[in-house]
Amino acid sequence: MDKAREAVDVVIVGAGAAGSVYAAVLAEAGMKVLVLERGRERKLSDLYSSQIWARRLKWAAPSVVEAGTDSIWFNFNAGQGYGGAALHHYAVWPRMHEEDFRVRTLYGRSLDWPFQYSDLRPFYDQVQRDVGMSGDAAQEIWRPAGDPYPLPPVLVTNHGRTLARGFEALDMRTAPIPMAILSQPYNGRPACLWDGWCDAGCPIGALANPLVVYLARARLAGAHLRANAAVTRVLTGKSGLQATGVEYHTAEGERVIQPSAAVVLCAFTIENARILLNSANKHHPNGLANSSGLVGRYLMAHSAVGISGMFSEEMENYLGATGGQLLCQDAFGKRSDPGGAFGSRQWMIALALKPNDLLGIAMTKPGIFGDELHEFMQDGARFMGSMVGICEDEPLEDNRINLARQKDKLGMPLARVEYRRSDEGRKLWQTAAAEGLKIFKAAGAADAWHGPPAGQHIMGGTILGLDAASSVLNSASQSHDVKNLFIGGPGVFPTSSAVNPTFTVHALAMKGARFMIENWATVKG
Amino acid sequence: MGNITRRRFVETALKSSLLRLSFPVGAGTLLLTPEAARARKLPLRTLSHAQAGILESLGDAILPGSGKLGLIHFLDHQLSADPNDALLIAKYFEVALPYRAFYQSGAGAATSMARRSAGKAIADMSKGELGALVKEMSAPGKTHDEFPVNLFYMCLRSDAVDVVYGSPRGFEMLNIPYMQHIAPPEGWDG
Repeated sequence: MDKAREAVDVVIVGAGAAGSVYAAVLAEAGMKVLVLERGRERKLSDLYSSQIWARRLKWAAPSVVEAGTDSIWFNFNAGQGYGGAALHHYAVWPRMHEEDFRVRTLYGRSLDWPFQYSDLRPFYDQVQRDVGMSGDAAQEIWRPAGDPYPLPPVLVTNHGRTLARGFEALDMRTAPIPMAILSQPYNGRPACLWDGWCDAGCPIGALANPLVVYLARARLAGAHLRANAAVTRVLTGKSGLQATGVEYHTAEGERVIQPSAAVVLCAFTIENARILLNSANKHHPNGLANSSGLVGRYLMAHSAVGISGMFSEEMENYLGATGGQLLCQDAFGKRSDPGGAFGSRQWMIALALKPNDLLGIAMTKPGIFGDELHEFMQDGARFMGSMVGICEDEPLEDNRINLARQKDKLGMPLARVEYRRSDEGRKLWQTAAAEGLKIFKAAGAADAWHGPPAGQHIMGGTILGLDAASSVLNSASQSHDVKNLFIGGPGVFPTSSAVNPTFTVHALAMKGARFMIENWATVKG
Repeated sequence: MGNITRRRFVETALKSSLLRLSFPVGAGTLLLTPEAARARKLPLRTLSHAQAGILESLGDAILPGSGKLGLIHFLDHQLSADPNDALLIAKYFEVALPYRAFYQSGAGAATSMARRSAGKAIADMSKGELGALVKEMSAPGKTHDEFPVNLFYMCLRSDAVDVVYGSPRGFEMLNIPYMQHIAPPEGWDG
């Protein structure tokens, strides 16, 4: 049965990183805000310290059909329920660099953003103050201009100190890794205990997940959240120029029309494109906000390489944060690769380890079994070191999200994803894998090895740009075609850089929300 | 470096195992260790007796002792759950739903491989023959009659590691602190 709800000022689709920022900023400005989340309600008390139980925070229901050469690793990267992927993210928050925003201008390839770093900097600074970031801006020599971190750096144990020796021996520099994790109490939230359970969600709120920062603020300001609300379409009015709300389905199968003066899609990279394409109507036959034909295109993912090694000393690898203790961006220059590959790289150094799960000790050597596996686990728990390299992916138009023939239980087509890691990303990964082994050997590892290429951080598909012919959104994350439709999340990135995207996602959401407030009269139409 | 024999591992693990699952008994449920459930001959919900035997043999070959610590009951419990709530690593490997079919096909593929390589059922294989079978399954990209045997091996191996080392008792066996904020439930029902 169809049901219509009372109109709101803004309906936000998705309660993750971007959606929570939009909700807080808009509700605090006095707007009537409703957040619809496809997944479940989540509370801090749900966040059991267990890699096994952490899997509840991610999807299994099929919404993505992989049809490309490489996997996008959707289930591992995405999240379901309040907090979205940011509930299980590692809170490694470096800023993008100035050149990341002007790659086409500076190098004649890839894409440009429709603004420069200096335009986004105030929002990085504001978010950093809001969440309480830990780091050392002076030591982080690669960092673009920005306010100092409000808190001192995260814990460095023997794990970090040992691996840093390897970098030093090769004349490479390390600095405390910038993290949205509290090294000291901040704004009523406690400091981290360095227990390495970031992936399972942080129930004490030391890690700035949406439940303890922006969703909490949004609720306090009067925003409403509705779980198990699967948005299937954005609706438009008679002219097709304005969004009039969204269609969603409840867990009980009820179809609901939610009217609103503006819509913000923050349902993560693939789902945002899927909803837009499924919203095709007579005014928008190829999908909403898609006059450019670019909705779904320029899909990207970082290529990650995990380096592991056994050392002769106790590494204390069970301590710290899952995202690491130190950072190295010496290879961030787009043309710094010794093999001539184009793009940036970074190292996240000394990740806290658990015995099990995808990034756990056992999985680093999947070919070992039997009694040897027990021995390996014993050794790994004491002597293993770990770091992860992240490599930039170039935006390729052929990497795209489309609608599949298969449908979900609501009758909505699944997302069909065609993805091939860019050639440059592939070469950067090779360089990183070789360099990582050298670093570990220089640090004293008796044995060192790397894992296979893995897709990390899903970006693109609804990119920002200067005009309606070459992009989906303008510099305020506003649709070129439908002026009261905005999009948040890493899907709006035109280039991927080599930094973890969540800090930039927050800054962009704050920028978009401020634009909405300042231009509300014209936005709502 | 660390040194642990299989005998010492099993003794330590069984002595310290607190893994308990909720099993239907009559009109109610009981929290039981897998060993106790086995002694009571409580039925599995999804896996057949034959499939359970195959998976347990493979699990023990992959990580000795995982069978006694409840691998099959963990799997059977999860294969009966809503997949979005499932705790299996199959979720991360993007295994097609239903997971039940994947594990059942995996047991079938392993059986077929065993017959082809050793001419016998998995239950009749020697430790060496079982090790050779697991080695074959562990080859990257390995398939058998189009079934992704290596993916199945990766999942089952991770399940075994979960059951043995993913709990507070597993951490204790590795002499590392668990340091939980919120302790996970002893059973798998949440």
